[in-house]
Amino acid sequence: MPKDVLGEFEHQVLLAALRLKDGAYSTSLVLELERVTGRDVAPAAVYIALRRLEEGGFAASELRAPPEGGRERRYFRVTPAGLDLMRESRRRYVALWDGVETILEPGSS
Amino acid sequence: MRPDTGPGPSGGRPRTHAPPPPRVAAATLRRALPPEDRAVFPAELDELYRLRLRARGPARARWWYRRQVAELILRRLWTSARRVTTTTMEWTTDMDALRRDLAYAARRLIRSPGFTFVAVLSLALGIGANTAMFSLVNAVLLRELPVDDVDRLVEVYTGEDDGYPYATSSHPDYLDLRAAAVGGEGPLSNVIGSRTVLARLDRDGEPQVVMGELVSWDYFRELGVPMALGRSFTADEDATPGTHPVVVLAHRTWVNDFGGDPDIVGRTVRVSGRPFTVVGVVDEAWNGTLPVVVTQVYAPLMMTNQFMEGGIDQLSRRGSRSMFLKGRLREGATPEQADAWLASFATGLEERYPETNTGHAMAALSSADVALHPLVDGVLAPVAGGLLAVVGLVLLIACANLASFLLARAEDRRTEIAMRLALGAGRGALVRQLLVETTLLALLGGAAGVLLAHWTLGLVMAFQPPIPVPISVDVGLDTTVLVFTGAVSVVAGVLFGLAPALRATNPDVAPTLKLGDAAARRGRRFDLRRTLVAAQISLSFVLLVGAGLFVRSLQKARAIDPGFDTGPAALVWPMSELSGYETARERADLALRIRGALEADPRIEAVAMADRLPLGAAVQTGAYGLPDVPPSERPSGLHDIDNARVAPGYFEAMGVEVVQGRAFTDDDLEGERLAVVSRAFVDRYYPGEDVTGRRVDRGGGESVRIVGVAADTKVRTLGEAPRPFVYELADEATLGSLEFVVRGEGTGDELLARTLEVVDGIDPDLVFLETKTMDEHLALLLFPPRMAAGLLTVFGGLALLLAAVGIWGVVSHAVARRTREVGIRVSLGASAREVVGLLVGSGMRLVGFGVGVGLLLAVAAVVPLSNYLYGIERLDLVTFAGIPAVLGAVALAAAWFPARRAARVDPMRALRSE
Repeated sequence: MPKDVLGEFEHQVLLAALRLKDGAYSTSLVLELERVTGRDVAPAAVYIALRRLEEGGFAASELRAPPEGGRERRYFRVTPAGLDLMRESRRRYVALWDGVETILEPGSS
Repeated sequence: MRPDTGPGPSGGRPRTHAPPPPRVAAATLRRALPPEDRAVFPAELDELYRLRLRARGPARARWWYRRQVAELILRRLWTSARRVTTTTMEWTTDMDALRRDLAYAARRLIRSPGFTFVAVLSLALGIGANTAMFSLVNAVLLRELPVDDVDRLVEVYTGEDDGYPYATSSHPDYLDLRAAAVGGEGPLSNVIGSRTVLARLDRDGEPQVVMGELVSWDYFRELGVPMALGRSFTADEDATPGTHPVVVLAHRTWVNDFGGDPDIVGRTVRVSGRPFTVVGVVDEAWNGTLPVVVTQVYAPLMMTNQFMEGGIDQLSRRGSRSMFLKGRLREGATPEQADAWLASFATGLEERYPETNTGHAMAALSSADVALHPLVDGVLAPVAGGLLAVVGLVLLIACANLASFLLARAEDRRTEIAMRLALGAGRGALVRQLLVETTLLALLGGAAGVLLAHWTLGLVMAFQPPIPVPISVDVGLDTTVLVFTGAVSVVAGVLFGLAPALRATNPDVAPTLKLGDAAARRGRRFDLRRTLVAAQISLSFVLLVGAGLFVRSLQKARAIDPGFDTGPAALVWPMSELSGYETARERADLALRIRGALEADPRIEAVAMADRLPLGAAVQTGAYGLPDVPPSERPSGLHDIDNARVAPGYFEAMGVEVVQGRAFTDDDLEGERLAVVSRAFVDRYYPGEDVTGRRVDRGGGESVRIVGVAADTKVRTLGEAPRPFVYELADEATLGSLEFVVRGEGTGDELLARTLEVVDGIDPDLVFLETKTMDEHLALLLFPPRMAAGLLTVFGGLALLLAAVGIWGVVSHAVARRTREVGIRVSLGASAREVVGLLVGSGMRLVGFGVGVGLLLAVAAVVPLSNYLYGIERLDLVTFAGIPAVLGAVALAAAWFPARRAARVDPMRALRSE
């Protein structure tokens, strides 16, 4: 088994970070995830996920003030290693989706 | 509705009015974060908090904030714990994972009710058997006395002069010991004493024999046993013999016999024919000094002679040892110090009272280490261990069953699991989810098992040993038992869930996804399942062999000739000293009157009287000085020989032949002391001699003259070698305390009714120590093998049932999985019969293998049983040949029923099935 498999939630956090470009910090990530998935997202979960991703070298962060001014925030960006990991995940997803839609009929889990 | 709780972001209040986040939670959050994030993350969380505040109102926002803080702390703990335990980056970052897993598992279980039912049932059987057995062991061996500070309590014993260290003590020794402890500086601060006796308690004029206990006045106080009503005894009440007729009632006696009368204190009750004033009712949790045996009434030690009668002053005789003593350790003293102190104290007693105390050492054991008595514990512990091992095997079989089912399910779920693995689900998370499912099953099984245990215990308690003393084994499901069951359930869940979970999540994903189920069908996975079923069969085989051996042994035991007439008879043991017959003369007269009345009845043929019957529960020996025989090892040189006191007519009524000399006659009652000895006595001590006319010494200058030799009977157990035995003729002092054995027409029950009727005609107020038939008397002897046979048969049957379910499962799963193969075979011309044969055959190969292994295990397992078996070898051929036949037949049926379904496979449908 490959060591660096992306969990579903980490995957979502990385995707949201990419969508937010330079504006990705924990609050904006929470709001973005809530907006897109339509579910409540726990900031604590995002915080932990970001720290783990950073430890694994898949994301990097810096402290800076927002362009509109105010307190410093910890902004995140996806590193090249993170991008590789996402590409790999995407490839697997696509490969897996190939020809298995019938299994995922409504009602089965 | 308050305006600020209204939904929607349109509130738009100024920020300054917004309530801040909960203070305590915010402070906690800062402390929980790593230093570099303390400035940043709280501010970001505040931002989201304010958004919530606007959207959902302050109450819900504050609640939300607190939850986030709690989650963050738990998540940090979780991830740091995981960082230590795992190297893979499986980040299940959802805090609700466990709850979700539980919900998911519950849904899956509900969706397959058949599987769930069988799984929970087999686990319930396994866990239930374990819970029941553990409750028993817990009640008898593990439960601590409900007393204060049991660690500072020691059991004090006086040794026998033959070297056995843990026997009872005498009252004068006790008084000296207590004085030395209380007044001295030794390791013991106090010693309390008690003596259990049978007493007669009259309730509404209705006499009954009860267990009574005479206790030192400070007994309850020192143990810390509270009174439910009234008070315990005072020092005054235990100061002078016979002057304070007061009793404390057991809680159960108060409720059962006196209707829980709230005004019981101060009432008078009659104990052993005398009025006693009730001063208290002891706490419900206290059952008496001896576990298992229930004490019903307590009195001060100084009332001993009023309770016991019988003319012997138990309080003043230093050589009459029948008290249980407990010592309280001083702060910091150890049981070992107490033991050493007692040893030197006993040496002092030996010097002062050489007549009575020579060779009687004293010893102490920590009360926490003694369950019943060192001697009994030594016997019970291996039996308890054996029983727990047996039920452990049953549980193991149930787990194997479940593991096997789950393996099958895991195979069915391979596609789903492979998919989830490929989608990035961590293997750990999947394993955890599967384990949650099995643990949930196990907990359900455990809950059902507790109910089942309740029922099983009823069954086990039905094996109440036929002894005349009220017995209570409190097998309630207390915390210890429930903790045990919970632990067993969780261990079982992990045990039967882990292997299937690891297999199912084997990350060898590609072949499964590419080839579908076909890939999963062959190879080791299926072998593991079959191995489990074979293991089940092996284990059930072992249990069944055990059951078979005991059943056979029981049959054999029934066929052993005990040397006396075991035909119908009534056995009644009147207690005339508890029934108002004060002198030995009165009691002897009463006994002779009863015998006369019985013999006058035309339907009664013979009456034997003895203070001990062969194969009874009691062991009784006398010390004999045998002229011309080398002295024994004991300091006195006397020989301990089993004996009984009997009345004239004994040998005739018991059907024991007198092979030499003569039996006793009524004329002998007035003369010198006579004895009849057993043939084994002659063979052992005077081989080849005519012993009639010889005198043997009885100590104290007395002797008995041998007048005859009787054929041997079994004395203590059926399996024993002929045992030397002395029948002494009862004299006036003992004649009144003998048990009657009544022979005549009809069944034992009819004889018993007839006998009681006759006795009733002489004295309707007489109480009895026991009334029973000969069959019941013999049942006591067969109690251990009967209980062993019964329990092993139940558990062996259970194991067989579980194994049959296992075989059924494997074969029916094989039928389902091999539908396509069967279709091909049928379409190529295989007959239904051949197909069924194929499937049954594969099932039966497992059985053959399992039986083979089981045979080897059984041969090893029966080795420790040989001591408990009568009349058969432990490798009894009938058992070892019969059990495989039984098992084979059951297995065949279990395989055949599901296999039959394969014969109905429609080949076209089967070929399309994938």
